[in-house]
Amino acid sequence: MDTKLGIKTRLNRVFREVFDDDSIEIFDEMTAKDIPEWDSLMHIILVVAVEKEFIVRLNAAQVGQLKNVGEMLDLLEKHNNR
Amino acid sequence: MLNDMDASLKREALKDIKQKIKAGKWRESFDSLAELSSPDDDFVLQTKYASLFKDMAEHLPELKKIRVAVLGSSTVTHFNDVLKFWLAREGFAASIYEAEYSTIHQTIIDPHSQLYEFKPDVVFVFTHYRDIKCELPAGSGPAVVEQTIAAAVNECVSLWKALRQKSNCHIIQSNADLPYHRVFGNYETTPVWGPTHILRQFNLNLAKALEPGVSLLDLDFLASVYGRRKWHDSRFWYHSKHAFALDATGLVAHQLAKTIGAIKGTAKKCLVLDLDNTLWGGVIADDGLEGIILGHGPAGEAFVDFQRYVLKLKERGIILAVCSKNEEDIAKEVFLKHPDMVLKLEDIVVFKANWKDKAGNIRDIAESLNIGLDSIVFVDDNPAERELVKTVLPMVNVVRMPEDPSDYIEALCSGSHFETVLFSDEDTIRSTYYRSNIERAGFQSQFSDIADYLRSLDMEMIVGEFDEFHLPRIAQLINKSNQFHLTTTRYTESEISAIRQDKLRTGLYFKLKDRFGDNGLISAVILQQQPDASMVIDTWVMSCRVLSRGVEEFICSEIISLAHRQKCRKVIGKYIPTAKNKLVVDLYGRLHFHRTQETQGTTLWELSLKDDSPCYSSFIKKINAGIKTTGGLK
Repeated sequence: MDTKLGIKTRLNRVFREVFDDDSIEIFDEMTAKDIPEWDSLMHIILVVAVEKEFIVRLNAAQVGQLKNVGEMLDLLEKHNNR
Repeated sequence: MLNDMDASLKREALKDIKQKIKAGKWRESFDSLAELSSPDDDFVLQTKYASLFKDMAEHLPELKKIRVAVLGSSTVTHFNDVLKFWLAREGFAASIYEAEYSTIHQTIIDPHSQLYEFKPDVVFVFTHYRDIKCELPAGSGPAVVEQTIAAAVNECVSLWKALRQKSNCHIIQSNADLPYHRVFGNYETTPVWGPTHILRQFNLNLAKALEPGVSLLDLDFLASVYGRRKWHDSRFWYHSKHAFALDATGLVAHQLAKTIGAIKGTAKKCLVLDLDNTLWGGVIADDGLEGIILGHGPAGEAFVDFQRYVLKLKERGIILAVCSKNEEDIAKEVFLKHPDMVLKLEDIVVFKANWKDKAGNIRDIAESLNIGLDSIVFVDDNPAERELVKTVLPMVNVVRMPEDPSDYIEALCSGSHFETVLFSDEDTIRSTYYRSNIERAGFQSQFSDIADYLRSLDMEMIVGEFDEFHLPRIAQLINKSNQFHLTTTRYTESEISAIRQDKLRTGLYFKLKDRFGDNGLISAVILQQQPDASMVIDTWVMSCRVLSRGVEEFICSEIISLAHRQKCRKVIGKYIPTAKNKLVVDLYGRLHFHRTQETQGTTLWELSLKDDSPCYSSFIKKINAGIKTTGGLK
């Protein structure tokens, strides 16, 4: 089982890959406003990449609601602990 | 092998490509990206390919411009980016027009919509099963079912008609991807009113309703290839109106790009086959006729089936050639004597079994068939040979063959090299044309005088104006030919069909026969009459099978006599150079035209009809389409 820190590290890697920017450091309050490229189209790529990395399947509502990194981490941690 | 790499390794490899892009090595980075990418790669990778391609797109001048409009009932923004990449792999630099989400009808009906301003070459009408309004109460009668399906098909047909009235584009229509959920379960396909039954019938009727200039994209097949249960990822329909699973984006974009390629003439013509461990197991020179694996046992059966598949390709018009490191006699003996050989020697148009390098042999094959290297697909089990051919002849399409012969058909098939949007009678007998050409070459060597030889061929030419019957072949010739094509104009079937109604334009086709057989429809010419009493040769395309037989001279004298009949004072020819049509750079010069202009390689030529027209010598008897007459030539 992954620790919260482990999940965060992996999620950070996904962000860097998706947004093609190795300087990204995610933080709980981070939202789309903090990354200029994070629009609704990129959001879909991000969600698909997260699903792949963590082998989870988010439901349609969750796909739309993951507004900030903290929520994303909580959700992934919940999946992880199941 | 690169394509067996998993996604994370591919993502690593993309970093190298990014470095190459930074260094300005555009072509090299595009080639690496092409080598790395597969239609099966997941959505995240496809979007990476698309964004890397965006960085290099404008630095790849060899890509041909094409304008594609995508009218979707679902969200297609990501799809379009990925499509651009797969079109580039087909040799196109695409501009894509994306209609507002779910405005297909309005966009097509409104004559002022941006679609028509965009002037698309190809329009993809991308609907899916939710758009087909065919739901009926359980137990509905056959008449109602039939009417409902007909109405749904008609809706598509009338949109095509509206589109075609305002644009000369080629239309690609997707069919219905059958849903995964079924109210009646397995029974749904049985009664005529069953939703599954209805959608299947809709797809069949849609195919029957196609007209020239409209092609189908079999979305339902792609759904089944991808796996229907995964294909319908409704989460992304509810969330953002994506019609199919995002991970299938590459698969759909690849198929659409291949179909567009087929419309625009990039499909391949010739399959070059290795022998040992490709058509049979083992090495004939070592194992002998009884020792090779063919016909019996699992591998033996797989080789037989692979040969059957190859034979079917030949029957649909793909030319077969052999390129093998072998003694010719020993290699041919298998074709002549092995009871389980499906392919016969007469199926192979060029047979190269020798010890020279394969790249050189393939170059010879292309030359003797008069086709471009880029229309060749090469199949060889040996990775070293494949690598050599890829390196020396990068334009040849080299199939990545798997180790197990059971997977050979799939490997050849999945590259979609031989896509087409039409099939003409010419295709079934194409191999015969090429074979008689090689016989002709043997016959020619008996003559010392070329005139004697040409006379002895007893050539007859049927000349006719474009008609519905010959339309598919004419379209094929205009869109697939590269070498003998003065202006490399590409016209869709609907555009060609329109010429027949145009008083100022004339389309002529030419069909040649000789003592060795029918050569089929070998040339087409489109002439445009100008207000200043000149006749412009807008398009002149000819099959290279009939070069050096006085055919050019014959056709030119036909053009001249037509110009005379239309009271024109001069004939104007144009040559627009491409990488492939150097063959005809001086055609008009040879036909006694005078060069009047040259700009960036494009030359204009003029032949005045006031003086006596030039006298060409030709040994071809003219037959008017329908009526048999003699003479025809001065």
